Amino acid sequence: MSEAALTRTSRSPLWWLPGGALLRVGRWHLGVPVLTTWVFAVLLVVVRARRIPDVWFAGVDGKLAVLTLGLTVGGLLVWAWSDPSGRRSLLDRRWHPAARSFQRNHMAVVGAWIVFAAYLLAVLAPLLAPYGPNVQGDLLQVRLLAPSGSHPLGTDHLARDVLSRLLYGARVSLSIGFIAVAISASLGTVVGAVAGYFGGWVDSVLMRTVDVVISFPRLILLITIIAVFEPSIFLIVAVLGLTQWPGTARLVRGEVLSLREREFIQAAEALGFARARILARHLIPNALVPVIVAATLGIGNTIVLEAGLSFLGLGVQPPTPSWGTMVADGRNYLLTGEWWLSTFPGLAIVLVVVAFNLMGDGLRDALDPRMRKG
Amino acid sequence: MTRYLLRRLLGAIPLVLGVATVVFFVIQLAPGDPANLVLSPGMDEAVIEQTRENLGLNDPLPVQYVKWLGSLAQGDLGYSLNQRRPVAAVIGDALPNTLLLSALALGIAFLVGIGVGVVQAVRPYSVPDSVLSVVALFFYSMPSFWLALMLILVFSYLARNVWELPIWFPSSGIRSSDFDLMSPGEQLVDRVRHMVLPVTALWLVLAAGVARYTRGSLLEVVGQDYVRTARAKGLPERTVILKHALRNALIPVVTLLGLYLPVLFSGTVFIETIFAWPGMGKTIFDAIGARDYPVVMASSLIFAGMVVVGNLIADLLYALVDPRIRYE
Amino acid sequence: MTLRPLSPVSVLTACLVALVACGDAGSDAAAPGATGAVARTADFCGPAMDAVAAYQAEVAGSPNMPGPAERYGGTAVVGGIGELQGGMNSLVSALHETSQTQIFVNLMTLVQVDENLEPVPYLAESWEVSDDATSLTFTLRDDVRWHDGEATDAEDVAFTFTRANDPETGFPNAAFFDNYTGVEVVDARTVRFGMTPHADFMDPWRAVAIMPEHLLGEVPASELALHPYGLECPVGNGPFVFASHRPQESWTFTANPDFPVGLGGRPYVDRYLYRVVPEPTTLLTDLLTETLDVYINPPPNQAAQIVAEEGVDLLAYEWRGFTFVAWNSRRPQLADARVRRALTLGTNRAEIVDALLVGYGRVANSSVPPFHWAHASSLADVDGFDPNEARRLLDEAGWVDRDGDGVRENEDGVRLSIEMKYNEGNQVRQDVGEIMQAQLGQIGVELQPTVVEISTLIEQMTTSRDFDAVTIGWVTELKVDDTDLFSSNRSEEPWAFSGTNNPELDRILATLQTVVDREEALPLWQEYQEVLNDEHPYTFLFYPQRLAGVSGRMNGVEMDVRGDWLSAKDWWIDPAERRQR
Repeated sequence: MSEAALTRTSRSPLWWLPGGALLRVGRWHLGVPVLTTWVFAVLLVVVRARRIPDVWFAGVDGKLAVLTLGLTVGGLLVWAWSDPSGRRSLLDRRWHPAARSFQRNHMAVVGAWIVFAAYLLAVLAPLLAPYGPNVQGDLLQVRLLAPSGSHPLGTDHLARDVLSRLLYGARVSLSIGFIAVAISASLGTVVGAVAGYFGGWVDSVLMRTVDVVISFPRLILLITIIAVFEPSIFLIVAVLGLTQWPGTARLVRGEVLSLREREFIQAAEALGFARARILARHLIPNALVPVIVAATLGIGNTIVLEAGLSFLGLGVQPPTPSWGTMVADGRNYLLTGEWWLSTFPGLAIVLVVVAFNLMGDGLRDALDPRMRKG
Repeated sequence: MTRYLLRRLLGAIPLVLGVATVVFFVIQLAPGDPANLVLSPGMDEAVIEQTRENLGLNDPLPVQYVKWLGSLAQGDLGYSLNQRRPVAAVIGDALPNTLLLSALALGIAFLVGIGVGVVQAVRPYSVPDSVLSVVALFFYSMPSFWLALMLILVFSYLARNVWELPIWFPSSGIRSSDFDLMSPGEQLVDRVRHMVLPVTALWLVLAAGVARYTRGSLLEVVGQDYVRTARAKGLPERTVILKHALRNALIPVVTLLGLYLPVLFSGTVFIETIFAWPGMGKTIFDAIGARDYPVVMASSLIFAGMVVVGNLIADLLYALVDPRIRYE
Repeated sequence: MTLRPLSPVSVLTACLVALVACGDAGSDAAAPGATGAVARTADFCGPAMDAVAAYQAEVAGSPNMPGPAERYGGTAVVGGIGELQGGMNSLVSALHETSQTQIFVNLMTLVQVDENLEPVPYLAESWEVSDDATSLTFTLRDDVRWHDGEATDAEDVAFTFTRANDPETGFPNAAFFDNYTGVEVVDARTVRFGMTPHADFMDPWRAVAIMPEHLLGEVPASELALHPYGLECPVGNGPFVFASHRPQESWTFTANPDFPVGLGGRPYVDRYLYRVVPEPTTLLTDLLTETLDVYINPPPNQAAQIVAEEGVDLLAYEWRGFTFVAWNSRRPQLADARVRRALTLGTNRAEIVDALLVGYGRVANSSVPPFHWAHASSLADVDGFDPNEARRLLDEAGWVDRDGDGVRENEDGVRLSIEMKYNEGNQVRQDVGEIMQAQLGQIGVELQPTVVEISTLIEQMTTSRDFDAVTIGWVTELKVDDTDLFSSNRSEEPWAFSGTNNPELDRILATLQTVVDREEALPLWQEYQEVLNDEHPYTFLFYPQRLAGVSGRMNGVEMDVRGDWLSAKDWWIDPAERRQR
């Protein structure tokens, strides 16, 4: 009896709400975003109920959006019910101390949530966007409208809804950042690990290559390649990815050089494990910390760089929206009064890139024991 | 010292050549026939063939590469097809403008960045620290062309035409149209006024990185024993930070100099285009667009060379601030 | 051919000439002509510029200033987005902006044209045409001198003509002189041309600036393009004397005190500057902050701001350009004229003009722009936006959506899918592509705009014909001749990229150029434009107006279809409004 009573009283009346329990125990940094996300998702289901079937049958994008929405609503509920006290759950104190350290860095937590929100919005774009990204309204009536009820962020010079393009553009910009960095991080890790582990001439050759690529202004290399071949989204992603790896390679090489001397590697070698296995199973996983940090920061940089390429006419080609092309195309209207064309996508870039950087800094501090905050 | 310098410079040659090689092959591997890219349609077959021959396009790629290296070794950078003058003259005009812009931007970025970083590190995780971090990150995260246009909007157009302020800055060029008619004093003022906006657009982006780095480095140093000792002696916090910690904290910051040069030169492509600043960034971008290969190649070499020199300077500065390092 | 492709193309022509010249100079592969050119710069430019300085010092004391004294003085600063490619060498430059500066600022043409586009004397004081229109004799003014003091004479005219006709020069507009047969210097002031009778034979003499024979006579034709004259030390004979050229930055010219009184004498402004500013927003700021006096060719979206700003005016004038989509009729999707017409009907061109040009332009239906005397105004309203008619035509031509995917197919299963190419860096053409993609999608046509780097695009249009459709523009001269574009006799020639094969068009085109009398030619022109519209090789989009932002302190600025710098020598600035110095 007393036990049951205790349990009941320790539950807040809103225990069934995702995040509610977390709030009650004072874990605001986790509770507020979880609750907000859930409420947002539920609202979206209600408001867009009629559109959901259409979106589902519209293609892979649509299915992904609907699934994500379902998972967000249902998953968070299930999670909330499975942990009514709000004390277990994600980032438990039994977890790595790094997680605790990261949580204490409020800026980093905010950054992480912004990044999360941006990706969520991007995936949900087909459900969220009031219009299609390339749907043109009446060119004479709907062109260059200032923000208003029917177009919250206004319309552009081809009578398209800026909000819709911003949401769809998020998918392009965030994917470009993510994929390019994934390419560069994997390549850099492999090259760095191989160079560091094998040493000798392999190391020399690889590291001289790194020196060459790193000492050349990257943008100029990008322009040369993209201008000479025709710009396409695949080329841009590939080139962005293939020019960023040297930094990662250097980092990983450094890590591997010091790991190589550690006992557990020595032991693995003494046991006669194949070198490839040592590399893949023991060295690379342990050298990943700086790679993760560099990748987080790299995604932000890549998004900014894509915007720069758009300014030079070498970015994602129309009509596909990306934040970069939106800012670049909208810049012609900065001085002429139609500020909303470039300002909203510009702010979106700044917000997300700042968030990535805060998150990256937080990760670095958290993962580097020396920097860990009390 | 001299021997060290020599060794470093000689060691840089393969690096610079490597860069040139990469650029050479990227350009040469472009789809389409370069002869067609520069010939006008409907020209006589014989003329086209002659042009291909003259461009050396009938040679196998490695032969072209060796030929190009050969004339480079003789100090011949080639002839700009677009500007129709020697590449050396093209670069001779553009390079000083870019150096001026970059050097100023770099200097200010380091001054401001270190200053901000110190302020942040004195009281880490405080409100001012967070605010400065976010402000610095804000500029760091802006696409630089957008930042540049904002500066023009605010400090050129709004300042002069809307707010009618007495001080505003011209949005383009390196000098006024009546520069030639001015007295030396006025010329100086004129040049400075034209530099304000482009230099600002460049340093704002760089300073954020310097500040972050300084802050991190200083925090690390502050935790070390000798700094604790200094504090324990009862020295004022100012003295502890500025006299004891900062010097050591600056050592890694100096290496940023080398890292930032490529970033800076990338930035000049945007800044020079927007502010109509006739420098290397603009030159190489135009040359790539016009497929003026000799200029692209030469500019790439120059950029790579400047990065090498920048790294060398960084290393020398390193020795200057870190007494443990001596170059032999 | 009397057409000039819009700017970027012309840049290319300049390069090509350079290359050919390099070849003849016989220099090595990596550095074509470099050493030779360096030497020439020193040998040629030094003495040439010294001579100019000496003569200018001589005439500075007694300038020809017939106008009101207070108008003389000040600096006019003009800004544009690009460098004046090719410089002041009229034999090798093809860019419109460059030739404007040549013919109105630094050099002179034999004749200019009045408001009715009828020739009026300029360098030539008078001219005479033989009754059978086979010879044309010009008498030159006797008081025009090159800026180094040499008289401009008949030899200069003959030299310009000869070099322009020499294939080794690479003169970009050689078709100008297709019907000219020869030149004869009668005496120092008289030059006679032989020709076969043809229409608008005076036009070349309005468009091609005369070049100095005494300086360039010894230069082989093949080396003209690489010669430092154009970019480093031009010696003109026009109202403004070349002072300096900072590549990618600015051109400076000073008033020519020696310019004949009979032509108005010395220009009012002391100095004329052309500044290169690559970013439109910066250019607009420069104009609004009075750093620039004239901003040439702003994009239409900036027009409203220029109009709204106090102290700055917008000039909008008829121009000689038109923008179109060329359809490659060699492609199965585009072989049928009904399909091509349906594509026009399915595009709301009036809306495009209103939205993209903000009304500064009008819908086009022919290759003869409205300024031209032969423009068929009866065609002004044909083929307005009519998607239903477009659908009917496509059905009739056998293109029906057979598999329900929203895109039509023909009987063989070929999809009505068209790749439309456009060149990098042209916002209006990019926007046209996006609008047409959306609008033609409504009538079951899949249109995919693709950006292509300009030189590659030209190659694909003119040589490999590797395109379905291309959005591009022409700038015509005052004389229009479409033979190279649409005559099937020239179908293998570069500019016949639409692959048009229509015997009736061939017949009319063959006759048109031989009819000298305009009244006689007019019905033929009308017929030509109607047949062309039936054949529909292009979707003509619009005739844009040309815009210019002009500071309120500039007086006497006139611009019209004749040219941008038409009145440059008559620009004046009130003393109180001039810059500080």
